[in-house]
Amino acid sequence: MSSNIQSVSTPRSGEGTWLWLLKIVTGILLVVLLFIHLLVNHFLSQHGLMNYADIVAYYQNPIIPIMEVCLLAAVVFHSLTGLRGIILDLKPALSLLKVIDIILIIVGVTAVTYGIWLVTVIASRG
Amino acid sequence: MDTQNNKPSAAKFWTWFNPVGRDTGGWAFILNRITALGLTFYLFLHLVILGQLAKGPQGYDSFIALMSSPVWIAGELLVVAAAFLHGLNGVRIILTTFGVSVTRQKQLFYGLMVIALIAILIFGFHMFTV
Repeated sequence: MSSNIQSVSTPRSGEGTWLWLLKIVTGILLVVLLFIHLLVNHFLSQHGLMNYADIVAYYQNPIIPIMEVCLLAAVVFHSLTGLRGIILDLKPALSLLKVIDIILIIVGVTAVTYGIWLVTVIASRG
Repeated sequence: MDTQNNKPSAAKFWTWFNPVGRDTGGWAFILNRITALGLTFYLFLHLVILGQLAKGPQGYDSFIALMSSPVWIAGELLVVAAAFLHGLNGVRIILTTFGVSVTRQKQLFYGLMVIALIAILIFGFHMFTV
């Protein structure tokens, strides 16, 4: 793949069309969700979400935990497929790539599970 | 100088970040890769740190007080900057993937980076003054 500005994004060798496409789809989703996330955290009310009480109050609206879990799932998927793409650029052996894939899946599932747990804890403190 | 810097090869790892002989696309590639690695690192740091919330108000609020020094705010602004640069560069990649503005990528890239710069300045101003 050329770094020329006229080129367009295509799957890497070993990436697979679905991972590549989902990276783009989650990318679009992130532009929207991360924009809301940053806007709320830094600009909502006078000071944004600055302390524990603010965050617990913010999580009482059920849309918020759902939105934050969606954001987390999208960002974890996007970041780990991106990381896998970078690893593919290092040309790992196929056997090593299989181990890396398993590690990445475990990391991703753990991160999202942890996030769901944390969001549930915060929402239930209200 | 070889400008095909993102051709897959482990031996050419350092050429990912080699600024010599870059065209605009090459600079966009470096920018996207550095911010990607930075944002991935921050994502997991962010998740671990937010675990403080589970410990209740004392643990979290004293941590936030610790983080409100200008040095840490500058660090947070770096994260915000990386997010805008990566996100808006990603908008270019998405558009061109679907055939939009393929022959005007350079203009699209510069335009989006100007928007990123303005957004970073607004956030920086807000984070350091409010």
